[in-house]
Amino acid sequence: MAGVSLPEPFQSLEPFGAWALATERERRAKRLSSSMEEIQAFYDALFPQLEAVVAYLDQFPLDQLPAEAQPLYYLTLSLVEVTSAVELYHNPHIFEAIEPARFRRVE
Amino acid sequence: MQTATENRRWSKEYPELGTGPVPAESCISPEYFELERERVFRRTWLNVGRVDDIPNAGDFFVRELAVCKTSILVIRGKDGVIRGFHNVCSHRSNKLVWEERGTCRGALACHFHSWGYNAQGQLTGVPDEENFHDLDKSKLGLTSVTTDIWEGFIFVHLGPQPQETLTDYMGGVAEQFKGAAFHKRHLTHTYKVEEQANWKVALDAQNEAYHLPFQHRYSFPGMFVLKDNRYLRLSGVKLYNHHAVWSTTYNSESTPTPTGALMNQLNTATTNSRLPMLGDFDFFVIFPNFVILQFRGIEDDYYMTYNFWPLAVDRCIWEIKFHFPPAETAGQRLSQEYLKHRICDVLQEDAVAHETLQTGLNSRAKTHLILQDDEIQIRHFHTVLEDYMGFFNGRGH
Repeated sequence: MAGVSLPEPFQSLEPFGAWALATERERRAKRLSSSMEEIQAFYDALFPQLEAVVAYLDQFPLDQLPAEAQPLYYLTLSLVEVTSAVELYHNPHIFEAIEPARFRRVE
Repeated sequence: MQTATENRRWSKEYPELGTGPVPAESCISPEYFELERERVFRRTWLNVGRVDDIPNAGDFFVRELAVCKTSILVIRGKDGVIRGFHNVCSHRSNKLVWEERGTCRGALACHFHSWGYNAQGQLTGVPDEENFHDLDKSKLGLTSVTTDIWEGFIFVHLGPQPQETLTDYMGGVAEQFKGAAFHKRHLTHTYKVEEQANWKVALDAQNEAYHLPFQHRYSFPGMFVLKDNRYLRLSGVKLYNHHAVWSTTYNSESTPTPTGALMNQLNTATTNSRLPMLGDFDFFVIFPNFVILQFRGIEDDYYMTYNFWPLAVDRCIWEIKFHFPPAETAGQRLSQEYLKHRICDVLQEDAVAHETLQTGLNSRAKTHLILQDDEIQIRHFHTVLEDYMGFFNGRGH
């Protein structure tokens, strides 16, 4: 979803539109296929603004997010997806874990 | 919350379980596994889902119970009653429903000759019925499976006649959870891992806290090491007739990660109905293969379940479900996503151990498991297993 447009206060995050992914499966695949530099750049851009982003999103009930807020919400979910990679592992992968595809999410 | 510091405390409370090593043969013997099918899985109540999984009339799900060599259809009838059936057509025993879940609108039709059944399991339609001999549709409904519900959890029993009602079978666990507001938490995430491990090896590996500081040193560094409780001794153990629970307290000394600290400040979803918890984290093993895990949250509690489904002596499916209070805002949803994500990291590490344990056991280099006092719940589990199997050192019924 490159070329994503975000609400005005958060337009600095637009270059990270490729992380605005709706499903856990996509977010996991994005983490696993990204380099640590790419992950770190995304984290460094979003994390300092996370509190403000959540405050913005929390103006709306979750099931009534305006269309322009939706990609912003997906970005926050992607941030959670990479938080351990940045804050703990310094690696996109979990150490000593089964292959990610075997930990199968049931929709 | 008092955590045990006295050595070998639990074996003093439960001396009848002994303290010796536990035979490992039950986890590797194909013959033992064949007998488990009959002596354990056809003689106990098996959790197959929750009432919330099928909220409306006609809703159904199918459970492939490989260990009992059958497929089970659980369906809510037009009368609102949840019933279980063998998922087998009365005509020539074809598997009736092929979907994992769905809704019966009118009739469930067999793929082979389109015999049709309603949501109460009655046979309602037979193509070219006049060409059959003395066909009495009223006697040819689906074959019932004994089905009952405890606190919203659906259980089936595949034996000819259960020796205990479901409530009696749950015993002290039923008292502990009487009226618990499980229904106020929603199923948000389900995962399945097919593992090269005996179902008990996988369950045993989850059924203790001793491994947490070591095996999960990457995913939760320092989290499980407390100044006055270096080895994460349990805060409570209760062993029931068939089932068991153990508890731990949270580590208030550990420093959260930056994201963790932020998540702790978010307003979290709440049902205003705390779960009946014994510690900060409770692990209930409902014999044989069902686990309820309760987590104390900041403003409300959440729970998970595991089902360990045997496929073969050295293969199983580990089914994992998260149940959170319904999230009304993005922040609430995000904090749940964070908890779920951290826990899933741990579980992906756990799954490795299930298979490396099985590899070690298969070598038969060791014949027994050596258990410390805070692993008494594993000893109890194997004792209950032996009560049913009758080989090594069960208590006998």
